[in-house]
Amino acid sequence: MKKLTNYLILSAVSLIMISCSKNDNNPVANNISLHFNNTFKNNTIVLGGAESTDATVTTSEKDQAHHLSELKYVVSNIRLVKTDGTEIPYNVNDLDKGATVVNQSKQASLDYVLTNIPVGEYRQLKFGLGVKQEINTLDQVRFPLFYAAAGANDTDMMWQWATGYRFTKIEGFYGGENNAFQVHTGSTLNGEGGKPETYTQGVDAYRDITLDLTTTAVVGSNTPKITIKADFDKLLSGKTKVILTSKNATTPSLHSSMAAMEVFVNNIGGDGKEDKSGMFSVERVENN
Amino acid sequence: MKKVICVLSVLLIVLSCSKRDINESIKEDNPEISLEIPAEFSALNGSVVQNRPTKYGVELGEKLFNEKRFSGNNTISCASCHNPSLAFSDGKQQAVGIYGRVGLRNTPAIQNMAFMKFYNWDGNILQLEKQPLVPIITHEEMNSSILEVIGKIAVDTDYKKLFQKAFGDASITADRIYRSIAQYEYTLISANSKYDRVKRNEGERFTAEEERGYTTFKSKCASCHSTALFTDQSFRNVGFPLNPNSEEVGRGRVTGRIEDQMAFRVPSLRNAMYTAPYGSFGQFPTLRSVLDYFDKGVLAAENLDPILKENGNRIPLSEQEQQDIIAFIETLSDPTFIGR
Repeated sequence: MKKLTNYLILSAVSLIMISCSKNDNNPVANNISLHFNNTFKNNTIVLGGAESTDATVTTSEKDQAHHLSELKYVVSNIRLVKTDGTEIPYNVNDLDKGATVVNQSKQASLDYVLTNIPVGEYRQLKFGLGVKQEINTLDQVRFPLFYAAAGANDTDMMWQWATGYRFTKIEGFYGGENNAFQVHTGSTLNGEGGKPETYTQGVDAYRDITLDLTTTAVVGSNTPKITIKADFDKLLSGKTKVILTSKNATTPSLHSSMAAMEVFVNNIGGDGKEDKSGMFSVERVENN
Repeated sequence: MKKVICVLSVLLIVLSCSKRDINESIKEDNPEISLEIPAEFSALNGSVVQNRPTKYGVELGEKLFNEKRFSGNNTISCASCHNPSLAFSDGKQQAVGIYGRVGLRNTPAIQNMAFMKFYNWDGNILQLEKQPLVPIITHEEMNSSILEVIGKIAVDTDYKKLFQKAFGDASITADRIYRSIAQYEYTLISANSKYDRVKRNEGERFTAEEERGYTTFKSKCASCHSTALFTDQSFRNVGFPLNPNSEEVGRGRVTGRIEDQMAFRVPSLRNAMYTAPYGSFGQFPTLRSVLDYFDKGVLAAENLDPILKENGNRIPLSEQEQQDIIAFIETLSDPTFIGR
């Protein structure tokens, strides 16, 4: 009798152990972390003021040396594409749970963890540079967390006048005299979000980015890490080669309209048609 | 079983009846306000139909319009800049908001909004319901947030009662705040000036000076200040002195078009005698200084309005013509609207 009890206990224990280890080895979902490496070509950017000697300096194709003092952009509408083509949206309609402000001066903001991603093999990453029109309304009631994060004094990623978010805020210094420049982008569309045929006026500065992963990201017991390179060299040396002058160094502004803004948007975010990657590429995928 | 069905259906009927009663009673207690639409005015903005002013919607909107708790430190209401005794403008060059912060532009008058297709100097807002959020969150205006505003007024029982009367229940939402303020503004119609009474043949006549002014106005001003609203609702670069603030782009900021650089909405001239100073950042202290500027010549620009370009960048106006035009513009004053 005692023996039987022992056997029973033993089998119960082993069952529990099996089931436990099974959970560990075969989860239904796990994390993917995104890391944003903001660079000039292959050098990770170090920010600095006008007279900084530490700041990373790059020279544009039009031979203009420049460096950055501020570098922020919004990433939202993230989607992951499985090898079989299935697209897994990641809280695409919830800025609180699915959007982030990448800020080069805040180390922690360079990593963004996507949680609860279904187990599987992924070959492609899609995301928006900026916020899609449907939810770009500074709606504090719907998305209090993102509203607070974007509106914080040291982040300042809102265009109150357009009741929309700033999509990028890039500031720095250029040329031999270290003249200041600032490129701010955002949408000013009017119309029903997501229905371009209803847009009556305004500029669409949102860009959808599609990146093929260098290696398949395998979500299982692994939590893959995808490093995305954002090469800000493209700001001045992308599809359109830009020379900064006092006339376009502040965008948008008196001298430099939103038309100039679109040049910058297309250089870093692609034109949304043929170029769906702009300055972004996948540097590596680590399946840890 | 039969009994149960019977009871259920009776219950259903009772429920549906009471529901209908509630709806009807809301409509009876809170009737729509019929807007008196002046005969010559352009069509209503499509949003008005979606948000018809009601008795209590307007009452609530007016109370909110005067609510200083909209600002971060409870000092600035909509009416602080949109002063009813100045046709809802403020008499200042540029708007002054919380902590004395100076805004980018001149406070525009609020009148006949239900008939406008564009709002603000650059026309970035197309529906009045979307406007109130802008000053609430703007650093130089109220420097607050909509949740902060809701939090402050939600403790006020007067508001609870008014939201109940206006919308059928007491919940205070962002959307209801925006809608009621817009409803109030839709009722701010000015169409009882001397000009209107002359046009309506109500027995009044223009003086000789006003008549001459009207004639000159029609030939030299009315291609832009057209229709009974005295604006064609277009955006034009008329070569006015430039705002020194480098962020000023005019309508170019909204549309991204080079042609819209430093173009601004043609303002209505109704009640212009009450809305000095003039221009997008109050460049001109008097109407006389505006006319004088047009006569002497405006700033050149690639996208300068073609009418000005064709006329050597100016609108020639003799001393007499200027006096006459101002006499005519005075007939657009509507004392019954002022101080409402």
